[in-house]
Amino acid sequence: MHTALVTSAVMLLAAVAIEAQRGTALLLVNLPAQARLSFSATSVTYPDADPTTTPLVASVPVSITITVRARVQRNSQVTLTVQSTDDLRSGVTVLPASLMTWTVTGPGFAGGTLSRSAPQLVGRWTGSGVRVGTQSYRFENRWTHPTGTYSATLVYTLASP
Amino acid sequence: MSARTRTRLTLWRTGRLLLILGFLAAPEVAGAQQLNLTISPLIVTFPTTDPDTAPVLSAAPVTVEYRVRGNGNRPWLLTVQASGDLVSGQSRIPVSAVTWAATPAPPFRAGTMSSTQAQTLASGNGNANPTATGTVTFRLTNSWTYDAGIYLQTLTFTLSTP
Repeated sequence: MHTALVTSAVMLLAAVAIEAQRGTALLLVNLPAQARLSFSATSVTYPDADPTTTPLVASVPVSITITVRARVQRNSQVTLTVQSTDDLRSGVTVLPASLMTWTVTGPGFAGGTLSRSAPQLVGRWTGSGVRVGTQSYRFENRWTHPTGTYSATLVYTLASP
Repeated sequence: MSARTRTRLTLWRTGRLLLILGFLAAPEVAGAQQLNLTISPLIVTFPTTDPDTAPVLSAAPVTVEYRVRGNGNRPWLLTVQASGDLVSGQSRIPVSAVTWAATPAPPFRAGTMSSTQAQTLASGNGNANPTATGTVTFRLTNSWTYDAGIYLQTLTFTLSTP
């Protein structure tokens, strides 16, 4: 009991000697889901080439650097797809979009074949982050293709469910 | 009188003496030192700009009003400490991603938030009377690697005369 009294007295002294005032504030950070997609080039062309010597024509530029920035919910999937709005057209002459294929570099990026009927996967990742890769298009060259200047528009979609 | 009895008696006397000293000292110290601290606003909100546009997010300035009286020439200290990392469900942002700039300097100083140790926000000697005001701007290093979510954490400001 005597020891307890001594302890109480010492604690009391300590309590009055350390004077302090406290205040609190709340940190609030709202980070909504966000995404940004950027390309080193927004158009590619295929130079004229002999189908015998060049059955697969590389695009110019040879590759496009794709940068995918995504902020998503924890462990959510992020997908990048591409779809042609139409087949390759030169006036009334049409070549199938599937004549265009691509290869890739970079983690999560995937090679594929262009389609006008369904989006094709270019990359898939999990969670937030910045992903950089390259995509190199090639065109299947044939003697049977009618001459002309063909074009098509490609739509890339970056999505997280 | 046995040694044990003498020890008990000494303890008893010492206890009474300290207790008396304590009661005597308490009103004197408590009455002499008066500390007041007000933080405004109580919620520090960061804007929602993407990391490319704003690599660092700045919150609206926080006003810190403090008053120190009866402190003689002794030092006073204003610290800030987070209760943990910024939390949104299972997602975390290290609270060290939060820094601050503060004016006037001195007595205020810039720093980096910690949840393990109180960080000095301002310090001085003697009194701050009448009420003095400081402005603290909290900043968050923005990153694409953060999970989307609404993150919260409590900050504790402490004004003391150590």
